[in-house]
Amino acid sequence: MDLDYLAVVALSSLSSAAVLLIATLGLAVVFGLMGVINLAHGEFIMFGAFAALTASRSGLPFPLAVAAATLATAAFGVVVERVVIRRLYGRLLDTLLATWGLSLALYQTAVLIFGSVTPGIGMPISTIAIGRYTLSSYFLFLIGIAVALLLGTYLLLTRTHYGIMARAAVQDAETAAAMGIETGRLNTMTFALGSGLAGFAGAILLPAFPATPGMGFAFVTKAFLAVVAAGPVTITGTALTGGTLGTAASMTASFSATVFGDIVFFVGTLLILWWWPNGISDRWRRKL
Amino acid sequence: MVAERDLGPVATEAVAARAPDGAFDRAQRHAWWLLPCLTGALVAGSAGFVDPYLLYVATSWVIFGLLGLSLDIVWGKGGILSFGQTALYGIGGYLAGIVAINFAPLTGNTLIWTLPVGALAGAGAAALIGFFIFFSRMGPLQTTIVTYTFTLILWTGTVSFTARIGEAVVGGDNGMSNIPMLTAGFGAGAAPLGPAGMFITVVLVATAVYLAVAWLMRRPFGLIVIAVRQDDVKTELLGYDVRRQRLLLFALGGAVAGIAGALFGGWATYLNPNVFSVQQALLPPIYVLVGGRGSLFGAFIGALAVGGLSFWLGGGVIGGQTTLVLGLALIALVILLPGGLVGAARALLARCGLASVAAIPPATLGGYAGIPAASAQTALDRPGKSLTVQGISKAFGGVQAVDDVTLEIGSGSVRCLIGPNGAGKSTLLRLCMGLERPDSGSVRLGADEIARWPAFARVQAGLGIKMQRTQVFYECAVWTNLWIAAYARLGDARAAAQTAARALDQIGLRGRAHEPASALAHGEQQWLDIGMVLCLDPEVILLDEPTAGMTASETRRTAALVRALAGHAAIVVVDHDMEFVRMLDARITVLHQGAVFAEGTIAELRRDERVLDIYLGRRGGVADL
Amino acid sequence: MLRISDATGGYGKTVIIRDVALEVGDGELVALLGRNGVGKTTLMRFAMGLLAGGRGTVELDGRRLPMAPAARAQAGLGYVPQGRRVFPRLTVAENITAAAVACKRPAAAMLAEVFEEFPILAARASQLAGSLSGGQQQILAIGRALATGPRMLLLDEPTEGVQPSIIDDIAAILQRLHRERGLSVLLAEQNLDFAMSLTSRCYVMDKGTIVRRALREDFLRDKALLHELLGV
Repeated sequence: MDLDYLAVVALSSLSSAAVLLIATLGLAVVFGLMGVINLAHGEFIMFGAFAALTASRSGLPFPLAVAAATLATAAFGVVVERVVIRRLYGRLLDTLLATWGLSLALYQTAVLIFGSVTPGIGMPISTIAIGRYTLSSYFLFLIGIAVALLLGTYLLLTRTHYGIMARAAVQDAETAAAMGIETGRLNTMTFALGSGLAGFAGAILLPAFPATPGMGFAFVTKAFLAVVAAGPVTITGTALTGGTLGTAASMTASFSATVFGDIVFFVGTLLILWWWPNGISDRWRRKL
Repeated sequence: MVAERDLGPVATEAVAARAPDGAFDRAQRHAWWLLPCLTGALVAGSAGFVDPYLLYVATSWVIFGLLGLSLDIVWGKGGILSFGQTALYGIGGYLAGIVAINFAPLTGNTLIWTLPVGALAGAGAAALIGFFIFFSRMGPLQTTIVTYTFTLILWTGTVSFTARIGEAVVGGDNGMSNIPMLTAGFGAGAAPLGPAGMFITVVLVATAVYLAVAWLMRRPFGLIVIAVRQDDVKTELLGYDVRRQRLLLFALGGAVAGIAGALFGGWATYLNPNVFSVQQALLPPIYVLVGGRGSLFGAFIGALAVGGLSFWLGGGVIGGQTTLVLGLALIALVILLPGGLVGAARALLARCGLASVAAIPPATLGGYAGIPAASAQTALDRPGKSLTVQGISKAFGGVQAVDDVTLEIGSGSVRCLIGPNGAGKSTLLRLCMGLERPDSGSVRLGADEIARWPAFARVQAGLGIKMQRTQVFYECAVWTNLWIAAYARLGDARAAAQTAARALDQIGLRGRAHEPASALAHGEQQWLDIGMVLCLDPEVILLDEPTAGMTASETRRTAALVRALAGHAAIVVVDHDMEFVRMLDARITVLHQGAVFAEGTIAELRRDERVLDIYLGRRGGVADL
Repeated sequence: MLRISDATGGYGKTVIIRDVALEVGDGELVALLGRNGVGKTTLMRFAMGLLAGGRGTVELDGRRLPMAPAARAQAGLGYVPQGRRVFPRLTVAENITAAAVACKRPAAAMLAEVFEEFPILAARASQLAGSLSGGQQQILAIGRALATGPRMLLLDEPTEGVQPSIIDDIAAILQRLHRERGLSVLLAEQNLDFAMSLTSRCYVMDKGTIVRRALREDFLRDKALLHELLGV
């Protein structure tokens, strides 16, 4: 086991964790600012992937396709919030059920429109060499994207007026209203933000993960677990749980089989919830 | 029904106090087992007239109905949204299948193997996850996600693992085949059942399971389940170990799911990991929602509706447009019809004044057909316990709510806790009760150090509380509320009925015994809450603002009640009503900013300038604390 | 300036306040007195639009206020709730900013203003509000309400759980605000001296209705009456 191999395993584990974080961030934002778990989050990612695919195929350069997909998914999120989420305000378990129904409806619609298998758009060929091994540089690029997204979201939620008001509203909705904060509009914006992040994830991951109707499911099972295990301080908490569980899972997978990696992730979640039933950040005194 | 000789001092209308008893009412009382038996017989009987292929498919609908029943047990009755019922179903199916493959050839009959194994496997797995979920006291969201995780782990595991257990081959993605078809006969020559035979057998098993569950729900167990669903904190404050109750309920649901899985294996003769898939896990909530959450039989209606729909649309339940329709249907159901078809029907009945109230079935009352006449309470000769807190402190963030408080309330005495708002009185009571963890200090009940004990253990040791906000079971009748409280203490249905009857008279609500608690006026609800505490016969009683919202005469009655209790128990009363405090004629402790400020009789305190200061805020008399 | 008419409502089935009517004139400081449980807080919540199912009207400057609390805040009604209810995982500065921008006030200017008014907050600008002491949280709650730029301030039991020296600070602050900005205030209080030191006129509530209107002089003359009413 030489150093190069370890380095490669470490980097590729980090990039797996990065992929998980990119996919999870939208869910964490919605949960952290609205208290809602959107079980259709994976299908929103799929929505973004197909949107980017379609945009790319009709001639748009990739970066623009990503932007277009992000906006399209955000718009779709606005519709969903108005039609479904808003009517179930305060009914946590009912929201879980309704978004679950939505997830399956979206999945089936995608199957009907696109069929079960679609070609991807191919990854940029460039690679990086570490000793005898090579790593696709796109995966390393994704590590950078994940960090940028985390920072950007953190800044958005702590430095902008929207972010401050949204955090106030989730901590004490009634008092926030009494201060003039219009929680209904904020919720729509938050859901749009979460959807947009999901769409962005689907689009930016397209070179590495071809768009298929079932791709959402593959991502989000771990995303849900990471968010729930994270607890009330969602952004930092999810970065922690997603980062550690994701890295641990992927390193296990590198040294044995994928399924063991998944099991490590799942069992890790259960252990975290045993010690901290409300999530790992339950007692934290951090802002976000 | 009710012994008419003694309706208690306050009852003026005998009509309201009597449980109904006409022929129709008697039929209603037996309906709970009559109707399912009739339905089962009818459905099974129809096997003679229906196309065998339809019978074959319909068998799966009944099995799915059983799966839906397992969810309705934990969700509809217990309030626990589990996404793991299909996983338990799958475990039951796989394990029953393995046992059947290996042992069924010995007896010919498969049922005697598969049904018990399915039930045990389902119950066992449910008990394991249930222990994890309920004993860590996670919230409802985490609970649902953990059950979801469980399903995911199983799905990932069974897809990848292959194993050979005896004659059974578990082939990962390929699943497990050669499961013996359902066979009812015995001996080596017994032939597997045909479509009609299987249908009848499955219907009979389902009816039997349904009856068993319905029967259980009419026992005290079922009443406690309903109580936990409505208000788990109150149930714990009555002394029930809510974690254990939920675990038992979850295991019951697991057993039913396991039986369903075993039947499925025998029907399909083949199982594969898809049984653990997300698409499958979606179905039970739909069955339950369509039929009506909490009705138990609604799950079968839902399964029939969904199965029928996909049969008609062509193609299996999973795949094709059915998934799309189901997904949209789930959204619509949750938003528009949360009560399902049965719920809508019930709402209609309620509008016509025919709503049913959760009441105690007479069979449960241990020999009493209704509310017994209250007998006099034998005088209790017990040494009595005292309550001592020492150096107790609690801070919330930067706010010091309770600051190094030391208090002793001797057995059989009354103590009033007063002080301005924010002085820490309610927090102190909550700390004594175990609803908050102290940062430091000790709490002693009699000789026991209880600061680390969970709330229900303190109640069982003799500590009772009536919280500031009224906590009663609103969907249950007044009498049922009291009985549930009494049963917690006594564990015996008959004794509980006697105790509850006594409490009913003490609080003067015999005239409204059969009405739902939600129909009572605010003051009466407070009385019911107090009555429930009385049923526990505590040795130390904590009352947090018992007269809030009461009229002057109600306040006087409460004071009389407290004085009457004072001989048997130590009582701590927090209140703002100085008239009430005066009526109690007890020793008073004044709290201010979380700390003990002064103590004495009301006469002494009225002369104490400092006490007047903290109430009136006069400057000069109060040093900076 | 503020007129409440026919206020009726409570929680669920329980009716706590019944047909309450009161008025606060332009630039007036008025107290709402009464024991615990008589409905002072319920009335304040009603005025702010936080009481579900409440009936009655609230007028500010002769215009009927809309039902939503956010709209009332934006119309110039400031609110300091009982128990302070600062946003615990926002910093002191963020608490103030949130209120300011929600009511379309310039954030930086309002922050500067509030910090000048309350140096104790300026010193803790980036501290999480949940870690402040009770008295500091109370001052923050007042500062936060001021950041909405109100013409009328509703204060619900600001002295509850607060140490005497900070109570003195709060009294001084309110007097100053009244003098310098002509801020109108409706103050619900149990602390008689605090209320009397600030206001000239008061309403006394009991069992959900107003039972007495009085001027400060009336109480100074008849303390015994007052004690009886307050039940001490």
